[in-house]
Amino acid sequence: MLAFARRYGTWIGMGVVFVYFWIHLPDTFVTSRNLMNITQQMSMLAVVAFTMTIVMAMGDFDLSVGSMASLAGVVAALVFVAGGPSWLAIAAALAAGLVGGAINGFLVSYVGIMPFIATLGALTVLSGLAFRLSGGKTIFGSAIPSSFSGFARGATFAAPNLTLVALGALVVIHVVLEHSVYGRRLYAIGGNAEAARLAGVRIKPLRMSAFALSGLGAAVAGLMYASRVASANPTQGAGLMLDAIAAVFLGMTMSDEGQPRVIFTLAGVLILGMLGNGLTQMNVDSYVRDMITGSIIIAAVASSSLGRAREG
Amino acid sequence: MAGALLSISHLRKAYAGATALKDASLDLHAGETVALMGENGAGKSTLIKILAGAVSPDGGEVHLEGRAVRLASPRQAHQHGLRFIHQELNVVATLSVAENIFLGRAYPGRFGLVDWRRLHAHAAACLASLGVSHIAPTARVSRLSVGDRMLIRIAAAFLEDASAPARIFVMDEPTAALAGEESQRLFRVIAELKRRQCGILYVSHRLDEVLAIADRIVVLRDGESRANLPAAQATKRALIEAMTGRENAEAPPPAAAPARGDVVLAVAGLEAPGLRELSFDLHAGEILGFVGLAGAGPEHLLKALTGGAAAGTIAIGGAVVRLREPADAWRAGLALAPRERRSEGLLLTQDIAANVALPHLRRLSRLRTFLNRSAERAQAIDMGVRVKLKASGPRQKTRTLSGGNQQKVMFARAVAGAPRALLLDEPTRGVDVGAKFDIYALLRELAATGAGILVVSSDHEEVLGLCSRVGIFRGGRLVEIVANEDLTPHALLARCYGEPRGG
Repeated sequence: MLAFARRYGTWIGMGVVFVYFWIHLPDTFVTSRNLMNITQQMSMLAVVAFTMTIVMAMGDFDLSVGSMASLAGVVAALVFVAGGPSWLAIAAALAAGLVGGAINGFLVSYVGIMPFIATLGALTVLSGLAFRLSGGKTIFGSAIPSSFSGFARGATFAAPNLTLVALGALVVIHVVLEHSVYGRRLYAIGGNAEAARLAGVRIKPLRMSAFALSGLGAAVAGLMYASRVASANPTQGAGLMLDAIAAVFLGMTMSDEGQPRVIFTLAGVLILGMLGNGLTQMNVDSYVRDMITGSIIIAAVASSSLGRAREG
Repeated sequence: MAGALLSISHLRKAYAGATALKDASLDLHAGETVALMGENGAGKSTLIKILAGAVSPDGGEVHLEGRAVRLASPRQAHQHGLRFIHQELNVVATLSVAENIFLGRAYPGRFGLVDWRRLHAHAAACLASLGVSHIAPTARVSRLSVGDRMLIRIAAAFLEDASAPARIFVMDEPTAALAGEESQRLFRVIAELKRRQCGILYVSHRLDEVLAIADRIVVLRDGESRANLPAAQATKRALIEAMTGRENAEAPPPAAAPARGDVVLAVAGLEAPGLRELSFDLHAGEILGFVGLAGAGPEHLLKALTGGAAAGTIAIGGAVVRLREPADAWRAGLALAPRERRSEGLLLTQDIAANVALPHLRRLSRLRTFLNRSAERAQAIDMGVRVKLKASGPRQKTRTLSGGNQQKVMFARAVAGAPRALLLDEPTRGVDVGAKFDIYALLRELAATGAGILVVSSDHEEVLGLCSRVGIFRGGRLVEIVANEDLTPHALLARCYGEPRGG
């Protein structure tokens, strides 16, 4: 029974959530329009959670993704304010993400700071930087060109553009983690770093690059958000980090050896996305929504670790 | 014997059919130090584990002060007054000396607060009573040497639990990691323990030390106690004979002298932690063994050769290479099989194919980037056959394999890249006899095809059966390399002890 709960508990939970909303929101939840909406709403979280999976495959965390996303949005908006073209704004934001992530990675792998501490520090610094650069205000209005903000509202072949971006990230990261030498080495580090090192895996550059990718993912999410709301403010990425880590953890409870796998991270993101969408439609207070979401995450991880303890 | 503090009689223990102890007996009296000696695998550690309550014997008895006792758990051993001092001590490094001495006891206090002054005074008095005056009770244990940590554990043993006073100290290779001065301090404390009518069971490889501090010496060989003699009557020669027991017995069939090829690995002037001025040549087609007593140096070799060296040169196939990390070694044509297969060798949650492929991923990949799982599978199957791996298939998780088969996965990984030289640390540790012979056959075959093989081993029988030359380490130095033909088990052990005339 417990073994069953451990193996399929999260899947069952996902089904229960889906069926519950289907019954209680018969006209609005399971409609193609709403389901598309869910995928769009959670596309930013999805991108961050996918790149977080890269870092967590090595057994590390990146706590700075939320403020990285905010900073990337602010950087892009500032380029627009200065009259720069879209491509430059996007390039500057992505570069900021890549560099910020690489600095995290450098601190973790070459300086030897624990990822928790290094990225917690980065969270604070990047958040401060985002406030400093934006003057603490939301940047919006005519400075943001409609070509940029139009992207998020647009669709290609009936699929929202943001959903397609998340899908693209999923495919790329799935290939990287599951089908490339690079990904195999990351999982080797996560499995047993010392054994991996002695078997010829160069740990330091790999670890640094994984954090750089996580920073890049956060910047992509920040751009998606800025495009969607046609503005940038220094707190808009705030909720991303916890939700992204939660999504990866939910996914880990579904995988065979408890490893982070990006396809299961997607399932974790879907659970969080459905909850957010359904509870909002039912007019559940956002604080209660947080409590429900948190409880579900704890329940999923608890059933999984209980099952594991019983097995071992 | 009547009046003995500890009396062990006819202990037997077998693990899954392999006999570890056959018939071990010894007596330890109050105020006496008995040294327990024996080769690796003679049964010393099993005997200690039985006393510690970690292993239950298949037969035989343990008497404490004349009463038969069952030591079913570490807790019971503790209650009977047994204390164990070894290198991995349970001290809390971040606390002070005094706090460690009082760990698990009520700190002296006043009004519910800790009375630090009294705590420190108690601790200082406790250390002073053992003749230890150089350790400040306020010092952080993390700053102390291993030797000082041992002294703290000994001091703490006298404070623990008035209902179970410390009577017997079992010390397992306590000086293996100690500097000369620290050893002397430990010996003074041992003298004080004897004065307090404690019994000390002292396990050591070091002949000089044992002869200097023990009252009696018991030698274990093949799980049986073979000698029990007063230290005053013992000589190094007699002890070595008692340990090997086959002074003139014929050596196991020596490895067929291989055709020695060019030098594949040349090491010159290597300086590294635990090793000094290491120089040697490894030839193609030979199996070179490195041995030494615990702490003598060869156990540091793999680390030193793969990025741990502070000075010296390494040449592979005549070209000097810089090996900063193990990845460089693999790339230069060396293959490694580290000692601890579970913590340093395998990815236990991954399957055999992924474990074998790990150092060879680029070669097996498509466009040097994308995994090629069918190539990994094929390689795992080929190599599995070669090392006689018994598994359900290349996708079996290595966690579920037996120790011998896990070891074979490491060999499959090592040979998969057709290396010029293999560096193996304890290649058959904890492996059953069948798998052992498979591994020996594989190594001979590899040597015959022109690889140079370096084996670090504490199993002398293995070294003598397998290696064409044997390098002997003492005190971090490679002191000599001897041809197998010139060695007997007795001579090899004697050379490890620095007694070349012993044989």
